[in-house]
Order: sequence, then structure tokens, then C-alpha cells
Amino acid sequence: MNTKKIALFTFLLVALAQVYVPASMILNQEKVWRTGKEYKFKTAPIDPSDPFQGKYITLSFAENRIKIPKNENWLPGEFAYVSVITDSAGFAKIKAISKKEPATNADYFKATVSYVTEDEPNQVIIDFPFDRYYLEESKAADAEQLYRQAQNDTTQTAYALVSIKNGRAVIKDVLVGETTIRELVKAHQKK
Amino acid sequence: MRILKDLPELLQAEVITPDTADKIRDYYKSKSRSSTSTNPLFIVFGILGALLIGLGIILIMAHNWDELSRSTKTILSFLPLLIGQGICAYVLIKKQDSRAWRESGSAFLFFAVGASIALVSQIYNIPGGSGTFLFTWMLLCLPLVYILKSSITSLLYISGSTYYATQIGYWSNFTVPYLYWLLLIGVLPHYYQLYQLKPNSNFTTFHHWLAPVSLTIALGTVAQKADELLFIAYFGLFSSFYMFGDLKFLAPHKLRNNGYKVIGTLGTMALLLVLSFNWLWDDLQSRPFPFNQLAKAPEFYASVITSLVATGLLYFSFKNKPLSRIQPLAPGFLFFIFLFVLGHFSPAAVVLINVYILLIGVLTVKSGVRQNHLGLLNLGLLLITALVVCRFFDTDLSFVIRGILFVLVGLGFFMANYWLLQKRKTHEY
Repeated sequence: MNTKKIALFTFLLVALAQVYVPASMILNQEKVWRTGKEYKFKTAPIDPSDPFQGKYITLSFAENRIKIPKNENWLPGEFAYVSVITDSAGFAKIKAISKKEPATNADYFKATVSYVTEDEPNQVIIDFPFDRYYLEESKAADAEQLYRQAQNDTTQTAYALVSIKNGRAVIKDVLVGETTIRELVKAHQKK
Repeated sequence: MRILKDLPELLQAEVITPDTADKIRDYYKSKSRSSTSTNPLFIVFGILGALLIGLGIILIMAHNWDELSRSTKTILSFLPLLIGQGICAYVLIKKQDSRAWRESGSAFLFFAVGASIALVSQIYNIPGGSGTFLFTWMLLCLPLVYILKSSITSLLYISGSTYYATQIGYWSNFTVPYLYWLLLIGVLPHYYQLYQLKPNSNFTTFHHWLAPVSLTIALGTVAQKADELLFIAYFGLFSSFYMFGDLKFLAPHKLRNNGYKVIGTLGTMALLLVLSFNWLWDDLQSRPFPFNQLAKAPEFYASVITSLVATGLLYFSFKNKPLSRIQPLAPGFLFFIFLFVLGHFSPAAVVLINVYILLIGVLTVKSGVRQNHLGLLNLGLLLITALVVCRFFDTDLSFVIRGILFVLVGLGFFMANYWLLQKRKTHEY
């Protein structure tokens, strides 16, 4: 095989890898999106932007902590498997965290420990992996404003709709009450 | 071409023979033929075009079109990637000899890969932040540097890897981005090859600048537990740059093409001036330094590695040059290690560092005079001035002493420049 052919063949392999990476990202997410169990996570957002990936709202979550027994030792940045349940009001709540993948049928996802509180009993604060919700550039600023209003309005609840399956979580939508943030912005911009 | 127009006149005056005239014509004909295929302007405009289109596509994609459905956006995210791959495949089959095609094709594909992953992350709100995204992007593009022999991709890759290091090390969880060093090692064979084949090309010069800039930025990301040690690490790094830039294969280059030497010199001087203040030394004395935790601190290993590299380079410098020709900046890192240890026990360290700066300033001025080099002379004077300005802010020195220092340095500036210019004049006439 001459150099030209070797270069072409190697390029073909690289090109396949370049297609495979985004394609596998899509397939993984799509599976969780379609067949995972949906949970509603109460949120509070801000509006940063990424030079490559565009505008998004960063979501922080209300129910992001769990008490741990004294003998458990967690460090910031450590991976944690977070099992979730739905509370009586219909919102997601952390049931347990573990260092190993849970063997039970409970829905769980992989997250990182943000920090551990020092007051007794210790609480572990979790950084959820689904903390970015991308929006069209023209809608992000309005979305942030509307969302802040919703946070202050006690009659409305803002939450992220998240699909969870086999340790993976995919954020499907962000809603205020029963309206999606996209529709809310659209209605606001028409006014 | 002027010389071709003058040929008949030269022939008529019998300055050259008809045979020589033919040879001259042939020479310029072959030169112009070869220059059209590798005209540097073609390469520059090709790359610029590809960069602009690539960045444009990223921005258009980043808009995140709401009107398009998820599946349409997904298909679109692959479009620039496939176009880029198509162009590169065409280049490999038909245009492998054209530098302009190779460089611009791979530059476009570089951005297309980024755009594609970015859009997929955006459509599916994939977590992971910019760090994972940049790492995947760089890894997928590294082979292009070698397959398409593309130096612009290598430069983009080094920039992207540096950006990755800052994202992980400075802006996110403050973890150490060890993978950055692996990414950087990945591009070294290309850098070496480029230097071997084209030591004087613009691309090589850009690498001579970008590599030290990248390392300077990334070294700080190792800060975890014993930040003070970073001063030793940076001293080692800047001294290494300085001596590397002074080695025989880089030394003959013009200073503006020798990023290592410039960054090494300015970096060391800046560090010295920062450390001429009391704060670090006060800090070292007032707080117990965790010597027992050194084995766990990444800063410690960074300091050891950079100091060892610098020591190796210093050994080479000693071997190849007489002692009198070794620049006073070069062994600065060794002196600083001594001062760092001394600083834990005695306030003399800060005095010694001030004396050292003054000494470097004076020796640089001396070397400027010896080489009849106004730039070097003034660099030395500037260092002394900077030292005096720094001391201006130290309130424990009396106004009179500070005043006298300023007047002396000001006079020194005038006298030294005047004297050197006079010396030049007398030599000219």
C-alpha cells in the first residue's frame, strides 16, 4: 500500500470516528428520551452563554441535598449514584446516594458531589448532570427574566422535566406551571 | 521582473553573454512556475477563508433554531462535518501536493467537527460543560494534523487544548487537567517535523510562540494545595524557555521569531519584580508550610519537573559556552529555590532578590554595551527602573532615598544611551 492509500485509509477511520462520536451521543440520549421514566425537578436558573454551544439557562435545583449517616465519607468532585423517587406533590426527590451502581429497580443517575455541609447531621449537596437547557439565542434573555418572575411568584412552580433510565438522565423540557419555557417566551415576545 | 527587462541592455553592453542571459531567463521562469503552486498568499487566504467559514458555521449553529424540529437539527448537525470530510478526502486523493488545499481543508474540518458535537450537545442538552466538549473535539482532530500534514490544524489544536486546560483548571471544579499534557504531547512529533523541514517558515515561528504561551497558561492549573510552590515551577519554566531559546538551533533567529526567549526573559523579570515585594515572604514566614504534604501536591511535581528540565538546559549551556557568556537570567531558578527555602527562616530573602534584580539589570546593561546593542542596554535600564518603581510603593523607605533612586536611574538612562550613541558615531567615522 503506498503512502497516499495509507493516508486515505487512516483518514477514513478518523472520519468514521468523527461521525461516530456525535452519532453515539444522539443514540444514547434518544433512548433515554423516549423510554426513560419522567421526573419533575424543581429549579432556579440563570442565563450564561457558551461561545460554541450557544445560549442556555443554567438550572440549579431545589431538592439537591440528602442527609448522610456519620460513618459515610463523601468528598467534593466524587461521583455519586443518585436514586430518585416522586414525592406526594409529584416532584422528584433524592431517595439515596451510593458509591456503587444501585442493584435495585429504583431510577438513578450518575452525578457529582458538590460539597458536604459541616453541621450535624452532614448533608451531601449534589451537582446534577442535567444543568444546561439550551434555548434559541433570541429567547434566552427573556426566558431568564420570565423564569425569575416565576421563581418569585409563589402560585407557580418552575421545574425541569427529566427522563431517567439506566443511570442516565436527559433533560426534556423546562416548564413554569404547565407551560414550557419556549411557549412562555413566544407568548411574551408577541405581546 | 526588473532584471529580465534589463537583460537586453546588459547583453548590448557585453556585461553578460547570451548564454548567461538564457540561464537567467530559465532560472526566473522555473522560479515563477514553482511559486504559483505554493504561493504563500494562496495558503493564507485559503486558511483565512476556511477559518471564517468554520467559525461562521459554529455561530449559526449556536443560534439554536427553534423553528427546526429535533430531527432536522440533528441531520443538519452532520452536514458541515460531512462537507468537511468530503473536502479533505478530495484533498487526499487529488490535491495532496497543494499546501493551500491541505491547510484550508483541514482547518474547515476542524471547525466542522466542533460544530457537529456542539450542536448535538445543544439539541439533547447533553451535560458535561465545555471541558469534555473541548477534549473530545481536540482528540477527534489530532489525526488531521498528521494525515493532512496541516500546521494550521496543529496551531488550532494547541489553542483548543489550552482552552480545555483553562476550562477544567481555572473555570470549573478546579481539578488538575492532566489530560492537557497528553494532548500536547500528541502534537510534538508534528512540531519537531515542521522544525526539521521548515525551520524558517511562518508556521514554525507561530509554533515557537504558541507552545510557550500555552505552557505558561497551563502550568498554573496544577495549583491545588501548596500554591506557593508554583513560583518555583514558573521560575523553572521561564528559565527553561530562556535557555531553550538560546540553544544553537533557535538562537540565530530574530528575537521576534523566538517566543521562547522573549517569554522566558519577560516571564522571569515579571516574577522577580513580583517577588521583590514583601507579601510572599511575609506569608512564608507567618504560616507553616506543609512540607509533609509535598508528596500529595501536584505543584511539587510540577516544580521538580520544570527545575530538572531547567537544570538540564543549564548544563548544556555551561558545556557549550564560556562562563562569562552565560546570561545572568539563566540560573535564576536555582537561586530562587535557595531563596524560597531561606525565606521560611529569614527576611534576608527579599533583600537578596532585590539585589539579584539590580545585578541582572546592571549585567544586562553591560552586555548591551559590549555588544553595542541599544535594545539590550535599555532592557537592563528598564529592569532597574521597574525595580525602583516597585520600591516607590514600599512605604517603609524614606521619600529622600526613593527620590535619590529615581534621579539616579533617570540620569543613568540619559547617560548610558548618550554614551552608547556617541560610541557608535565615533566608530562610524
